[in-house]
Amino acid sequence: MKLLRLIIFATFVFATVKNGLAADPFVQGVEFSHAGQFPEAAVAFEKSAQAVPAAGTLVNLGLAEWQRGHAGAAILAWEQARWIDPAEPRAAQNLAFAREVAQVEAPTLKWFETASTWLPPNAWVWLAGASLWLAVGLLVLPRIFGKRKSGWQQSLAALAFGVFLFGLTANVGVVSRTQLGFVLKKNAPLRLTPTETSELVATLPAGEAARMVRARGNYLFIRTATEAGWIERAQFGFVSAAR
Amino acid sequence: MNILLHSTRKIFWALLLGPLVLRAQTPAQLPPGGLMQLQLAQPTVDVSSPVTASAVFDPPVVRVGGKTFYRVTMDAAESSIQWPETIFAPSALPLGKPARGQITQFLGNNFRSLTTFLYEVRPRAIGHFAVTNFPVIISGRPVEIPLAGLEVVAENASAPPRQLLLESSATNIFVGQPFRVRVLLPAGNGNEIEALREIQYNGDGLLTDKTTMRQSIEVVNLGGQLKPVFLCELTVTPIAAGPLTFFAQGYTAGREFTGPISIRGQVSIPGGPPKYVLLISDPVAVQVHSLPPESGRTDFTGTIGKFTLDPPQLSTNRMRVGQPVRLKVVFHGEGDLTRFVPPVPPRVHDWQIIADKSPATSYTLIPQTDETRATPAIPFSYFDPTTAKYVDLSIPPLPVTVVGEGLPVQVAVTDPENKTATPTKLSDLAPGPGKTVASLKPLQLQAWFVGVQLLPVLGLLALWQWDQRRRLLAAHPEIVRRRQARRALRREKRALAQAAAAGDAKRFVHLAANALKIAVAPHFPAHPQALVCAEVLAHLDATDQTGCAGETVRKIFAAADAQFAANVVTATNCLAWKADFDAALQKLEEKL
Repeated sequence: MKLLRLIIFATFVFATVKNGLAADPFVQGVEFSHAGQFPEAAVAFEKSAQAVPAAGTLVNLGLAEWQRGHAGAAILAWEQARWIDPAEPRAAQNLAFAREVAQVEAPTLKWFETASTWLPPNAWVWLAGASLWLAVGLLVLPRIFGKRKSGWQQSLAALAFGVFLFGLTANVGVVSRTQLGFVLKKNAPLRLTPTETSELVATLPAGEAARMVRARGNYLFIRTATEAGWIERAQFGFVSAAR
Repeated sequence: MNILLHSTRKIFWALLLGPLVLRAQTPAQLPPGGLMQLQLAQPTVDVSSPVTASAVFDPPVVRVGGKTFYRVTMDAAESSIQWPETIFAPSALPLGKPARGQITQFLGNNFRSLTTFLYEVRPRAIGHFAVTNFPVIISGRPVEIPLAGLEVVAENASAPPRQLLLESSATNIFVGQPFRVRVLLPAGNGNEIEALREIQYNGDGLLTDKTTMRQSIEVVNLGGQLKPVFLCELTVTPIAAGPLTFFAQGYTAGREFTGPISIRGQVSIPGGPPKYVLLISDPVAVQVHSLPPESGRTDFTGTIGKFTLDPPQLSTNRMRVGQPVRLKVVFHGEGDLTRFVPPVPPRVHDWQIIADKSPATSYTLIPQTDETRATPAIPFSYFDPTTAKYVDLSIPPLPVTVVGEGLPVQVAVTDPENKTATPTKLSDLAPGPGKTVASLKPLQLQAWFVGVQLLPVLGLLALWQWDQRRRLLAAHPEIVRRRQARRALRREKRALAQAAAAGDAKRFVHLAANALKIAVAPHFPAHPQALVCAEVLAHLDATDQTGCAGETVRKIFAAADAQFAANVVTATNCLAWKADFDAALQKLEEKL
């Protein structure tokens, strides 16, 4: 009797876990990708990434979008994967490959933006916060508790303050990188004014990197390496999804 | 090799001499004047013969107020007749509005037009009346219309004049709503059925659709009597609002049936040449209402009736960009569907929609992008005359998967040593989701994180405040003593109240003495138990020392000390001091 109950319980647990895995959009996306159903795979990975943004999910989303012929969406997904995890090797490999095939350049970063790519954005902010309060604490707490500041405390405070200053610049780089984005559609029109009937300045290839300067209505004023103009919001995707 | 050369030579000579041997095909030649003969063989339209005219009252004998028709018939084209606006007739014979018609009759070897003018007459008086002869200009020449006489009697049992019956399927309709009307020609004498030709409806604001005409010979119930009739039915559409009146007219045409006809029942059709007589019907009135305002809807195509829509069928739900697919849509309606106007395909960004030629209701859809997930909804609504409301019957969108053109996943290796270090193919799929974040929006731009950064500031401020307070208390220990004394005093007062409530005089006196000592202890400073009555009294004002308060303090201390003596104070006495004790303690507490 006990054995029978155990078998029933094990079957129930197995079925629950199996159903849970089957309903996971990431698992569904992988299955669709293996079956060559890339539109469905892209939908599943996108759903998974919206629920929980994850580097691996975005890598796979980029692969599905690339297979569908959406170079812009693929490059954006891989950049987002690197935003979450700068050490993600697949994203770096795919970005290099895609930029070679699509003949588009990687975005040009300032030094503090480059520094901000060494760690995930949230790590920088925690690092800066922790180092600041460590330095402040080491300087203030001994006085509060009526104790003398020792040499090692002062050295550590100085080091923490130095880390804070460097983290601050990296944080500025993170905020600055939130304005980076990529052209999603092929031959996206870049216009002189933020209107549908405006004169064309240029047509941008999918995956072209650009930096948003300002927004007006349904249009964004962006600056690429060579051009500047207005583009429709729907044709431009931000790396950080903060804008 | 020789065989090949020989064959080539043959082909060369055949191509060179062929045009000289072959002749172009020529059409079969007609004999001279053949074309003219073909034309002359057709019957001519007779316009040169003298025009004859006849005028009769039908019937010639009628009772007063009865209906009769004044019918003038001329064998001439209507366009050549200059018919007078008014015809002089006796005042007892008021002529109604004329109906006019023209028919082409075949007279064996030529055609001749026949034109009829018809007036409805309802005589007002008994007697013999006549419309005198009068001239009419026909083709520039005067033609005499002969006299026609009418006998009006008081009573007349003869049959009413022969006329058409007009029936309408609806009398209360909306503009644009098609409805069926039918013209009936009852059988004449001997139940002989005649055909009707040149049927037309006279009335403003009506559009007749002759493509929907249906002719039949049926036996119908007319006034309780089954009678064979020639029946012609067609669809009429009102194009103007308001009350509309119309009537039908047509020529009797013997057995000259035009178009297909269905015959039901046993009928007899007369032989011999037809006798063309223009008949009219009584007018029928219909009320035509305007359609209610469309209130900005653009999906109304003018279709009126009651319709249903089958689930639309798509030839496939998986397609590539640019691949056309068929969307089959079937509408069902009650009654006539000839006026059904199918939905107009909308202009959408992601799809090219091509509608089949009306009245078909199928569409060809061509996806323009692979980002679309469904076919476009095709808006459509019709007007339901029974509820007088617009009903939405849009074709719903159908889910589809559009597959785009892929990009290369691998490139050829042009640099075998891989000096450029550019990967030559895409990576494999990531096996798991990997590192996750709550949001792609960095913490730096999230408002709650700024709030979190304020917490250490608040902690430091709290620490600083605590340090300041600690320093202050260290410099002023009397603050601590007074605070401790106040706390101990509150405790003693609660115990005092309990002792007084319990009537425990011994405990009350002991607690009261303690409370007095606690109240003055911080002023020395000293431990409360080390104080005596004189030290308590010293902290009362000079007047209070000699007054009631001082007296109460002395009594309390005396009673407390007496607990250890032989002369014990009674309990009731001690409890009676409570009010004075409270007043004295209040004064000491104010100084604390």
